[in-house]
Amino acid sequence: MNAHAATPASARIDDPALLTLTQAAAAIRSGRLSSREATLACLARIEIAQPRLNAFISIEAEAALKAADAADAALARGDVKGPLHGVPLAHKDMYYDAGHVVTCGSKVRRDWVAPLTATALQRLKDAGTVRLGALHMVEFAFGPTGHNPHYGPARNAWNPDHVTGGSSSGSGTAVAARLTYAALGSDTGGSIRLPAHFCGISGLKTTVGLISRAGAMPLSQSLDTVGPMARTVEDCALLAGLMAGADPADPTCADRPVPDYLAATAQPLAGRVIGIPTRFYVDDLDADVAEALDEAIVTFARAGARLVPVDLPDQSRLSAASTVILLSEAAAFHAEGLARRPQDYGDQVRARIENGFVLPAVTYLEALRWRGPALAAHLEAIKGLDAVLAPGAPMPAPTLAETDLGGAPNAEAMIQRLTRFTRPVNYLGLPAVSIPAGFTKTGLPVGLQLMGKPFDEATLLALGAAFQRETDFHTKMPELP
Amino acid sequence: MTSSLTAEAVIVTARTAGLDLTPETALRIATAVAPALDAFAPVSGTLPLDLEPATFLRVQRQGDGE
Repeated sequence: MNAHAATPASARIDDPALLTLTQAAAAIRSGRLSSREATLACLARIEIAQPRLNAFISIEAEAALKAADAADAALARGDVKGPLHGVPLAHKDMYYDAGHVVTCGSKVRRDWVAPLTATALQRLKDAGTVRLGALHMVEFAFGPTGHNPHYGPARNAWNPDHVTGGSSSGSGTAVAARLTYAALGSDTGGSIRLPAHFCGISGLKTTVGLISRAGAMPLSQSLDTVGPMARTVEDCALLAGLMAGADPADPTCADRPVPDYLAATAQPLAGRVIGIPTRFYVDDLDADVAEALDEAIVTFARAGARLVPVDLPDQSRLSAASTVILLSEAAAFHAEGLARRPQDYGDQVRARIENGFVLPAVTYLEALRWRGPALAAHLEAIKGLDAVLAPGAPMPAPTLAETDLGGAPNAEAMIQRLTRFTRPVNYLGLPAVSIPAGFTKTGLPVGLQLMGKPFDEATLLALGAAFQRETDFHTKMPELP
Repeated sequence: MTSSLTAEAVIVTARTAGLDLTPETALRIATAVAPALDAFAPVSGTLPLDLEPATFLRVQRQGDGE
């Protein structure tokens, strides 16, 4: 396996890029590490990895160092901006950042300058972050592999012949390769959980309504969610706590107190009850994925959790309803663009958008109306459980060639299989935490997802962090090319 | 597999949306969309009159983990 464990905490300061987000933030605030040192360390790795991984759409080294110096100067004056003071980060290139080009992974927006800043991004800026650049993504976030005809594919840090998963492709591979401490992703059909699974990192798909979507490129207003991707669950908790909460710019965002997610990650596993699905999520698994799930069940049980079988309602029907909504809403968002500039859309994304134009409005509205009863039935099925544990995908990362719709004969079937385990959660609007849970014999990561109840991210983060105290999969990292 | 959506039906529907599709494109779309429509078919036409989309938000807020 092409991996090695992260170095001990006492030695990590020698290579600042290898710190976790939480560690880096603490080191900068305490003066043990400067923002410039952290930024230089990330930029050095980016310079090495970018030609092979294509993780970034834009790298802004000079501006990043200038911002880092300003952060260091502010800290020297005793002016701490927030919990992430001076921490360099890069995000999926769909979060509007006023005055910056935000491509959304597309040719259509190749030169589009955002007029405003996304609320989620602004809250991270307010916490003190430094911008490293913009991360790669699937065109308009509409695809699960990482292929992109306009900017080339992002490549998996564990093996560049394999996909990163999408649509948060750059976020997945950049976090895995330690090019950024963490990154924003988005999850409409699995776009955080798939790259987390394929790249061996942690991720949080949030409850619909937890984090404002204002200024985040829309794909499906009913399903879109903003969430963090990072090296540890603890880091995801830190970021979620900073971004969550009501926002006047997004009236769909829930107005409710934000729990202390970071504190939740310290909770023990003892007494927790985790459901293991009796079907669907355990059907048709590749051997490596099945093995990772079995071993995780043993790990959770050994650490004090109670594992029980759970019979969930028909997940295929939830997945179908999710597809109806996603295709319909994406077609509506892109109707104008596709009519005006069809030649500027990639073939795969244009084909997916066209699918939505033929769906009956009545079917779309029925899919929306059924969401309430479907969620009620799911909540009834998981009553008494803290979470449901399942693989993030039935297989490890396939190769880029295997998923090339223009070349591979079985690519469409493989792509459908990729998103099998992620779409039901999107339809129900539920939160899910992704955790690295093993490696294949060829060294590719395998991940699991803990699916929870609406707005109960705290419990999922507690479970995920507890799992990471028992395992070391999250500390493994690929060697730089 | 029995499909609820044919290429011919796709062509007719697309025309109402102002799209003029080739038979090949229509077949591709029918093949891509039919599985979702078929899987959702048992729900279609069965929902009660008073069920509004906003029910989802009510269930979500009642069923939260706090």
